[in-house]
Amino acid sequence: MALTSPRANGYNDSTGSSAALSRRDLLIGGGAMTFLIGADGLQRVASAADTATTAPTGSVSPNAWLTIHRDGVIDIVFPSTEMGQGSSTYLPMMLAEELDADWDNVRIQQLNSDDRRFGNRIFGGFLYTAGSTGVYAYMPPMRLAGAQARRMLIATAAKVWSVPPERLTTKPGRVVDAESGRALSYGELADRADFVTDVPDVNESDLKSPAEFRLIGKDVPRRDIPTKTNGTAEYAIDVRVPDMLYAAVLRAPVEDETPQKLNDAGARSVSGVVDIITLPDGIAVVAETLWAAFQARDQLDVTWTSTSVLRNADSTADLETYAAAAEGNDAAAIWHTSGEAKAKIGQAPRKLAQTYRSDYAYHAQLEPMAVVAAVTADQRGAEIWAGTQTQSWTTATATSVLETTPDRIKLNMMTMGGSFGRRTALMQEYVRDALLASKAVGRPVKVVWTREDDLRFGWFRPTAAQRMSAGLDETGMIAGWHHRVATPSVIQYFNPRRWKQVEPKDIISMRGSENKFYDFSDVLAEHVITERRARIIPWRAIGASYTAFAAEAFMDELAEEAGQDPLAFRIAHTSKNARGQRLLRTVAKMADWGTPRTDTALGLAYAGYGNAQAAGVAEIRLNREAGEITVERFWAAIDAGMIVAPDNALNQIEGGIVYGLSSALKERITIADGEVEQQNFFDYPILRANEIPRLAVELMRDGPEPLQVGEVGTPMVAPAIANAFARLTGKRLRHMPFTPERVLAALA
Amino acid sequence: MTKFNLNGAEVQTNAPPDTPLLWAIREDLGQTGTKFGCGVGMCGACTVHVDGNSEFSCLLTVSDVAGRTVTTIEGLSPSNDHPLQKAWIAEQVPQCGYCQSGQIMRAADLLSKNPKPTRDEIRETMSQNLCRCGTYTRIERAVARAAQEA
Repeated sequence: MALTSPRANGYNDSTGSSAALSRRDLLIGGGAMTFLIGADGLQRVASAADTATTAPTGSVSPNAWLTIHRDGVIDIVFPSTEMGQGSSTYLPMMLAEELDADWDNVRIQQLNSDDRRFGNRIFGGFLYTAGSTGVYAYMPPMRLAGAQARRMLIATAAKVWSVPPERLTTKPGRVVDAESGRALSYGELADRADFVTDVPDVNESDLKSPAEFRLIGKDVPRRDIPTKTNGTAEYAIDVRVPDMLYAAVLRAPVEDETPQKLNDAGARSVSGVVDIITLPDGIAVVAETLWAAFQARDQLDVTWTSTSVLRNADSTADLETYAAAAEGNDAAAIWHTSGEAKAKIGQAPRKLAQTYRSDYAYHAQLEPMAVVAAVTADQRGAEIWAGTQTQSWTTATATSVLETTPDRIKLNMMTMGGSFGRRTALMQEYVRDALLASKAVGRPVKVVWTREDDLRFGWFRPTAAQRMSAGLDETGMIAGWHHRVATPSVIQYFNPRRWKQVEPKDIISMRGSENKFYDFSDVLAEHVITERRARIIPWRAIGASYTAFAAEAFMDELAEEAGQDPLAFRIAHTSKNARGQRLLRTVAKMADWGTPRTDTALGLAYAGYGNAQAAGVAEIRLNREAGEITVERFWAAIDAGMIVAPDNALNQIEGGIVYGLSSALKERITIADGEVEQQNFFDYPILRANEIPRLAVELMRDGPEPLQVGEVGTPMVAPAIANAFARLTGKRLRHMPFTPERVLAALA
Repeated sequence: MTKFNLNGAEVQTNAPPDTPLLWAIREDLGQTGTKFGCGVGMCGACTVHVDGNSEFSCLLTVSDVAGRTVTTIEGLSPSNDHPLQKAWIAEQVPQCGYCQSGQIMRAADLLSKNPKPTRDEIRETMSQNLCRCGTYTRIERAVARAAQEA
């Protein structure tokens, strides 16, 4: 089957064009060096041909990451996947920086296989795009790969000119000899039969200093943006291959139920229906057109089993069960501990404890699940077009479904219409369904979920109850901090294989509760791993999206108890964190914190994601009759370390803030009798253009190394709003989202 | 068979007359720049122009546009150089990009009727289109830029 169609994502398909990188180029075309990125970082694992060879096309691959062609074009591997974060431009750019490549001649090659040589070292070497790790995970190996290639280019030029390499330097795309005024382009050098690969390994000390950067830290435009303004960017939902059919899947209304009895006569009578296939947890209608598949699906008459233990899942009751667990004393998994938190709280002259709640939240990525699969005639291989956050787990899904080996799976990783954690699971049921349908009908099949499918069968941020306890000493300083989170383990569900390695520490459920930015010496963060009552998966900012709400709303309550200003109280507790204090002072200045408002109020929060820190101030207005909060302004000061792409970082941070605003004010999944109650954007509203506050973001740019950008904007938002509400009304909002109903209840 | 004008060309589709225009454009006529987001006119990812007015193509049927003129993102400008497309690039608006065809089509309709919109007018009109990546402030800036430079 020749199914590969030209891609248009602003970057190339590494398997779709003849000039593109291939395994053969890497191994035969002078691939002198291969880097393996394991959990411990960059390792040189192989140093092959001492005698350089060039590929038949006149190209050379100094290492696995790049190929230089004789026309000067340089292909650089993009090892992650693109969901809107921009790393398809900026990861290859980091290599190009050290290579001193002419950026205009760089082509970006999407990695379309589970090739662990390019794995994410933060995730044990798997191909996994998540957690805002892309830039900091790939900066060291990709910069070194670029520097190593540059050294080979210089060595080759030195040999050609019979001069010592030390006197040569590079300008974008060429090696120059300042003394003689000669220059050789990278393309000319790549075309030489005597290309030199036998050079000493580069190390950190050979990399450019920030002052030498031409690309990193500059506003280099994103490569994918033009295609995203003219309709040519191609998402999985857009893929069309010859002979393709369409499938719509009717899923069991409650997880773990299966089809017991099927009457498909009505569905089969719909014109264009090709086949109706029973799946493990649903019925797939395969048709000549998508519209026929949707219409026929409505005609299915299915009797489902009714034995699932999740039949009685009820989000309201289940959250109260979690709250009781948070407030109780049952044993819990320790996420983080230092000092003697419980003892310090017990001895403190003043103690405070509060419980905070948050509901299930849905990703609402604008492209619903969609995938094309073409299973081979022997039913043991497949080509797949999908947008997911992981080549590794999409491959694992396919090999598991087809009981085959990874070499029989050809992936095409499509740019995603958003993801925010949704497309990360070990078993991706949308991929599975396309494979099973294609296998059954012997033709390529595109599965498309409707928005209703995407919501009702969504995997969510878990609902959580959190018990916060702390003591205050005689001087009003915090003595002992205990954060007890009652929520299920997300990892146990969405990636049981990873759970075996990390149990009982669940970073997805718990991130942020370690509270690393304050001075607290006595901290206990515990995870009461509650029974799972819905499908759950990472969601933007993972645990920090709710742990920061509890922690920072509680900080405000402690400040009030201590009789201190919320800003002064936080500054007093960050004496060992100069960068954090700078953020607090910066955002206070931006928001004019000291000036009281009349009809509005300011609320402060200080949170972050991983090692990236954020301080935010929300200014809110309240309609007391309707219970409606309007956020009029939001100021943020962010320290995400070294910034590789400043303008894109601002876009990501603003997006993270908007995501946090939407979640804090509106977003709520409810479950009754095991079924998700929301259907579409009319009952799961997300923030619209006319609800966006004026945003101001100040981004620090002097960090020594890159940190997390994509998710740092989100966690601070909900507590900033809750704290502003308390200033305005004297009442506390302790259940997110802050719906009108809850606001009115708080005011009553 | 239904005939209409799509991006300047007379086209015909054999899709059943009750097929949503969105699916006919995307799957039958192969113009996939127009996106599916909700199917109920709540997100605007499917925004196209019908006889010059922006519409949710998921809410129209093929028969609704018989003999009419439909413009999608692919037909907005012959060389992809509409002032809004240039402004979208200048402001580096898109993240995932999935909603942006619809955003640009919505904004093009706004500027064709109101060449110098106020900030509030931009916000109100553009609030018919969702952007989950949260690029709203850049969309607002890009529309204002296009209005200024047009």
